[in-house]
Amino acid sequence: MPTEVIHRVEPLIEGARPAEPAASSPSRPVRTRGKSPTAIAFARLRTDRVAVICGAIFLFFVLIAIFAPLLAKLEGQSPTAYHQELVDDYGFPTIGPTSEHWFGVEPRLGRDLFARWVYGSRPSLIVATSVTIITSLLGVVVGLVAGFAGGWTDRILSWVIDFVLSLPYLLFAIAVPAVLLSIFVGPADGASVDQVSRVRFISLILVLSLFGWAGLARLIRGEVLSLREREFIAAARVLGVPTSKVLFKELLPNLVAPIVVSTSMALPSYIVVEAGLTYLGVGLTEPTPSWGVTISAAQSFYRADPLYLWLPVLGITVLVVALSLLGDSVRDAFDPRTRR
Amino acid sequence: MLLYILKRVVSAISVVVVTLVASFALFFLAPTDPAGTICGTRCNADRLAEIRSSLGLDEPPIEQIGGYMKGILVGRDYTTSGVVQHCDAPCLGYSYTLGQPVTKLLAQALPVTVSIVLGGAVVYLFFGVLFGTLSAQRRGGTLDRALIGSSIVINSIPYFVVAVLVALYVTVLPHSEYHPLLSNPLLWASGLVAAWLTLGLTNAAAYTRYSRASMIESLGQDFVRTARSKGISERRVVYRHGLRAALTPVVTIFGIDLAGQLTGAIFTEQIFGLPGIGVLTLRAFNQYDLPVLMGCVLLGSVVLVVMNLVVDIVYTVLDPRVRLG
Repeated sequence: MPTEVIHRVEPLIEGARPAEPAASSPSRPVRTRGKSPTAIAFARLRTDRVAVICGAIFLFFVLIAIFAPLLAKLEGQSPTAYHQELVDDYGFPTIGPTSEHWFGVEPRLGRDLFARWVYGSRPSLIVATSVTIITSLLGVVVGLVAGFAGGWTDRILSWVIDFVLSLPYLLFAIAVPAVLLSIFVGPADGASVDQVSRVRFISLILVLSLFGWAGLARLIRGEVLSLREREFIAAARVLGVPTSKVLFKELLPNLVAPIVVSTSMALPSYIVVEAGLTYLGVGLTEPTPSWGVTISAAQSFYRADPLYLWLPVLGITVLVVALSLLGDSVRDAFDPRTRR
Repeated sequence: MLLYILKRVVSAISVVVVTLVASFALFFLAPTDPAGTICGTRCNADRLAEIRSSLGLDEPPIEQIGGYMKGILVGRDYTTSGVVQHCDAPCLGYSYTLGQPVTKLLAQALPVTVSIVLGGAVVYLFFGVLFGTLSAQRRGGTLDRALIGSSIVINSIPYFVVAVLVALYVTVLPHSEYHPLLSNPLLWASGLVAAWLTLGLTNAAAYTRYSRASMIESLGQDFVRTARSKGISERRVVYRHGLRAALTPVVTIFGIDLAGQLTGAIFTEQIFGLPGIGVLTLRAFNQYDLPVLMGCVLLGSVVLVVMNLVVDIVYTVLDPRVRLG
């Protein structure tokens, strides 16, 4: 019985949304089955030239990150091997880009720059993607529950949301890993480098997730507050559809737009935060190859070895700009009010 | 109105108190060993016990946090090797590594951060509103598209990357360093110019877009049409009539941004070598100086909460359309 109810309710939701463009064009016969708002948005996105180019750039970086070992093998170098023979007594590399070292080698340790660059794209994407997924899930669940339950549950959750939003998260992002590090690794001198870098990696994801979910939760709560008064929800509840089904089968499909938009905006911002914190020395550490680490190390060699600095700078800039522009396009595609 | 303000103040205080207790629990009650860190590698049991007792780490947690709160409100005494030191209220303890009161360190760092943020704000408000207005006036034109296009791109470039590149390559700007404003205003300004311009011009991109949107809306209003029909010069219509109405939303965003920047000026400070709150936090992180870390986090929370409160209250006073819930 309940499944039948849902089938009857769903077209109603779609009908409530803006009509699909095909229905108004005279050349095509009017079809009874409409496209979902998400399908419309993706169709818009496909015709957006900026979005397609930026998406391609993002895909390019994802492929680099996935195939980093393969690319390094193609070049024949590893990101961790030292080449002291290619570095002079003052730490400056004696070679530029060669057929053996495509982007040259690092000052001081002489590690291969190309291999470190391709591997360096990994932590940015891994940290940003995991944080985006965790914060989106957490934000959606908390927002759904707070908005739908109402009463004291809502009051408490809303207070927590406001509380998290009013914390100076950058300062916490520095302070919390310090404590975590000291709990899990112990006194700074005794820990091995690998252990420190692993704890740093996990604590970075943890801290960013802890502070990142509240914005989306507030947004979702607001949407749910207005949606739950609509007829299709009232109908579903009256017919005795279980609450979890109302939440995830009825409400959630209507929240796709804000979720997708906020996710696509969050991803580039977490890449920036990861690289920024790592640059400050509070994020990831050596020996993890990461663009943030490289930028901070390369600053002192910006004249002698510009490639050392500019590779990670360009990598992160191009990636983040492409993702932000893609995020803007996604927002425009999902928002029927915007025209460009 | 009064009831609303009272409610907001109570909730603001509750946020600060919870932050205080939570971060105290995190920093001082978590199973970490600050005494061991201070004691270093050549440490014996007696010395360790002495450090513990001088830090109050041997007391039960409730007394520790009670002592900390008492320190903030009325000040407290510390006994180190038999010597009693009085720490005036608001006392946030002593830095483990520098031996100075945390309050003093914060008081030294705060003016630096405030100088950077306020100076930057002047730059981005000026350029943002100017570009936004120009853009709105020539909506759809070449200048508009160039300004908006570049502002979108500038806005998405990671800020710290811009700051690093400016600090390294733009050598025409005077060397960055901090001099107190009162001792020498000229040196103060010249030492901060690089930071101001970097912070200001990158943020101006966002403000260009805010003011453009706000200005376009305001120029479409009836009062602007009336002003034009009265024969007032276009410049006066735009800058006197339109801009005044367009500024309210921009100022609201500015209020919220300002709070975020006060606690987030860390990149500017670190990259330009200015010893503000962010740099103090970083130093405390690297040396595991818990009282200083705790002090920075607390100060940051108080600043954020107070700023949000002020923005909310000012907004309800300024804009009669806002209904108090």
